Amino acid sequence: MNVKDILKEIKGNLLGLVGEKFEDLKSESKKDVQDFLDASKEKLERWTLFLASGAITPEEYKWLVESQKDLVVLKGLYAAGVSKIKLGHLKNSILDTVINTALGMVLKPNDTEENADA
Amino acid sequence: MKTRFYTTYLMALAFLIVTSCGSLKKAVFDQYSYQKGTEIKVDALRLMDKSSMEYSSQTAAIEHLEAELAKIVEYEKNKPENKIGYAMWKMIANPDKKFIAGYLKMWKEKGTVSPVFIDEAKGQVSEALDLILQYEGKKDPAAENKLKQILGLQ
Repeated sequence: MNVKDILKEIKGNLLGLVGEKFEDLKSESKKDVQDFLDASKEKLERWTLFLASGAITPEEYKWLVESQKDLVVLKGLYAAGVSKIKLGHLKNSILDTVINTALGMVLKPNDTEENADA
Repeated sequence: MKTRFYTTYLMALAFLIVTSCGSLKKAVFDQYSYQKGTEIKVDALRLMDKSSMEYSSQTAAIEHLEAELAKIVEYEKNKPENKIGYAMWKMIANPDKKFIAGYLKMWKEKGTVSPVFIDEAKGQVSEALDLILQYEGKKDPAAENKLKQILGLQ
């Protein structure tokens, strides 16, 4: 297995999960994808050296490479879950602001209605 | 008059947010899931340290961990609005995926594994379990409780 080919496959899978081209990603997501790819590259190079020196067997090497590919899927699930949570927090903040504003108006001592009556 | 109009408008807006807010139905932070996940991670990594020994010498600990994995998957499956958490745990517990269950499968097939492989595989298993724990940790119980208070659900 060639490290370059494996990395290309991992990048393809990762972008497939994110559903966008790398260039179109927002800076935060871009950094996340790039960090994961850098970490993958580092690991793949290390595992290839271990394989060449006989420290791990070809079967163990294959297991590790596949585990990195499985991590891509898990990372995709995590990213989807976190976006959903962030959206929930944003909606909660909006709701909080709306309710507080409404309560503020109701509890205001000298509102416009009283001023109009005066 | 103006105040009444704005109040009605804001209340209507709040109602719309509440009723359209699908994410409010998401699984809330679950102390049990977080604690169980942490225990599984610690047990899994400790067991992996012993995989330079024969698989058959550790069957009790392996069966215990497999049972814990089965239990958390079942628990996550039945939690409401928890498709993502459930999918993540299902991957961890799947012997065909290369996480802890896949590691145990390989150990069983080979009998023992090499020390370098143990260290590298531990990193992978640890990273996967950390993602689940971080996902659970991202669910903010304070925000959920505050919202429930505002809505009079607590």
